[in-house]
Amino acid sequence: MRNKEDIKELLDYFQNTEDNPLKFDEEAIFSAYQKNSDNQSLPIKILSVFGGVLASLAFLGFLFIAGLYTSDLGLLVFGGIFIAVSIWINKKYDRIIIDTVSVSSFIIGFILIGFGLGQLKVNEDIISIIFIIIAFSSLSIVQNYILSFVSVLIINGSILTLIISNNAYNLIHFHVSVLALTIVLFFVKEAKIITINKTFSKLYNPIRIGLIFSLLSGLVFLGKRGILPVSTDYIWISSIIIISSIVYLISTLFNLLHIIESKHKISIYIFTLLTLLPTALSPAISGAILIILLSFMVNYKTGLAIGIISFIYFISQYYYDLNFTLLTKSILLFLSGILFIGLYLFTHKKLTSNEKV
Amino acid sequence: MKNIQREDIQIISRHSDLTEKGIDRVLKVNVYNNKESWQKFFRLFNISLGVGFTVAGIVFFFAYNWADLHKFVKIGLTQGVLIATTIAALLPKINDNIRNVILTGASVLVGVLFAVFGQIYQTGANAYDFFLAWTVFVTIWVLVSKFSPLWLLYLVLINTTFILYSQQVAKDWSEVFICFLLFIINAAVLISTIYFGKKKTPNWFLNTVALASASYATIGIVIGIFDKHQTTFAILILITAPVFALGIWHGLKTKSSFYLSVIPFSLIIIVSALLIKISDGEMMFLLVSLFIIGSATLTIKNLIDFQKKWTNEK
Repeated sequence: MRNKEDIKELLDYFQNTEDNPLKFDEEAIFSAYQKNSDNQSLPIKILSVFGGVLASLAFLGFLFIAGLYTSDLGLLVFGGIFIAVSIWINKKYDRIIIDTVSVSSFIIGFILIGFGLGQLKVNEDIISIIFIIIAFSSLSIVQNYILSFVSVLIINGSILTLIISNNAYNLIHFHVSVLALTIVLFFVKEAKIITINKTFSKLYNPIRIGLIFSLLSGLVFLGKRGILPVSTDYIWISSIIIISSIVYLISTLFNLLHIIESKHKISIYIFTLLTLLPTALSPAISGAILIILLSFMVNYKTGLAIGIISFIYFISQYYYDLNFTLLTKSILLFLSGILFIGLYLFTHKKLTSNEKV
Repeated sequence: MKNIQREDIQIISRHSDLTEKGIDRVLKVNVYNNKESWQKFFRLFNISLGVGFTVAGIVFFFAYNWADLHKFVKIGLTQGVLIATTIAALLPKINDNIRNVILTGASVLVGVLFAVFGQIYQTGANAYDFFLAWTVFVTIWVLVSKFSPLWLLYLVLINTTFILYSQQVAKDWSEVFICFLLFIINAAVLISTIYFGKKKTPNWFLNTVALASASYATIGIVIGIFDKHQTTFAILILITAPVFALGIWHGLKTKSSFYLSVIPFSLIIIVSALLIKISDGEMMFLLVSLFIIGSATLTIKNLIDFQKKWTNEK
């Protein structure tokens, strides 16, 4: 949060960066800073999500003990009301303090509608599609941070349900690939997306974190064997997409790092491919690396932390699942370790000699 | 210009005719990482992966059951690697961060050494004394290094030792008492780090330890609520109360919204558990649901008020 002088100074700075005179709606900017509803600190966001989830769980307990889950029509009507109310109060009072109320009401609404449709023996696919439609409409009506984040997760969960309930497990590669490409686009084209219009600008942060979690959920299905009977025949599809995305990112870095000579570029490409190739059978690892690189590029700390934690998890899972003797695993790990230490020493030398020149 | 955040760019772009190109430039200059930080990133990335993989390779190497190898060779080999690593950490040319990463690797190798010892003399891989020995023998390095990841490893070791001890030796300890002990240990570390560490300790370390302490206290109290009444439960509450109060005070003093949200959230869970203990009828669940919404909203409202006050004080 900033005070008035800060904002004035900021506006001057922005004016100086552009050649043509800019138009600012100063009053709107001041009041936006006053309200600043979607840029709260992380603890507040987590508090409202956890509070909302806990409250919904307690409410679910109430429903079950009271036996209120038998009336299908009642469930549907109340579910609809809960979702409508949560969207309405957000639209009406765009304030962070009502987030817990609206997020619990939102989740409870989905639970009720899900139960209601289940009672009516509606097919899972239709329920998933209905959920996707509701979540999308909510995104287009309100752009509140928490609600949009939950909506993205609901959409992702519904797509996964569609894949699983139709036993179309191999489509998960398609899902992961599309998610990976979307995330790359989202991070690289940040300026483009937030200038499309106000709706996109407000949705940018919640969708970004929602996409990261969605990609992770897809990667978990690929990375941990045995959750889903995903055939290994198609696993290269996800890998190719993710690895090419990483290579693309590296190529955008050349400019920033002032690497001009094509000899250097080619050796960096070859090295990147060589290190990533052994992970071709585990797109989860390269996916985590993609999240780390993207988040570091745009200086997004939450994403970076999520990426590092998932990277450590996927690496351990990979070696745990590997069907080699411990001795072979040990040699593999040891050699890659030496490779990275060598790389460290090599770049260290190179950089220090560059600095001297 | 001081410290332009992504939020500033978003808010201002919504109410102005800033162009995509302009925003892209401002983002690249003010928000995105530059050449120097990328170089630092790659250096740290390489050395962490290098040390991590190498140490993991060594761990797996010794986990493989070498029936033919004489025990002297086994322990000698591990110790040789350990000594080599420690010497590497003492090389004068490297910078402090890298030195600490290597020292952390060496601390893990101490664990390997004891594991090999345990393998030879059949003490079992999860015996508490294995972790106790590991903890004791890395203590000096931990103290010398002042390196937060190593400190975190150390704390994990202490916690593991206690949990295993309670499972293997002190089987008569109640769950509440175990939570109580772990709470005391972690809270003590947290408080002394804040008190003696001044501003050097990174926030993520303090927050992790604070989260662990609050979780132990919460779990202990919730178990205590549903368990038969016992003296440890009373002591746990008597100690948790001032520690939580201290946490709130510290949060207010340092303007950290982390403490001001973790502690109230823990209290919300405790009160909800208490309510469900009183009655587990349907109306109570409805009440609990409303209580959580109400109290979480109240907490958030207070947090926002504090943040506004802090901004204006600046």
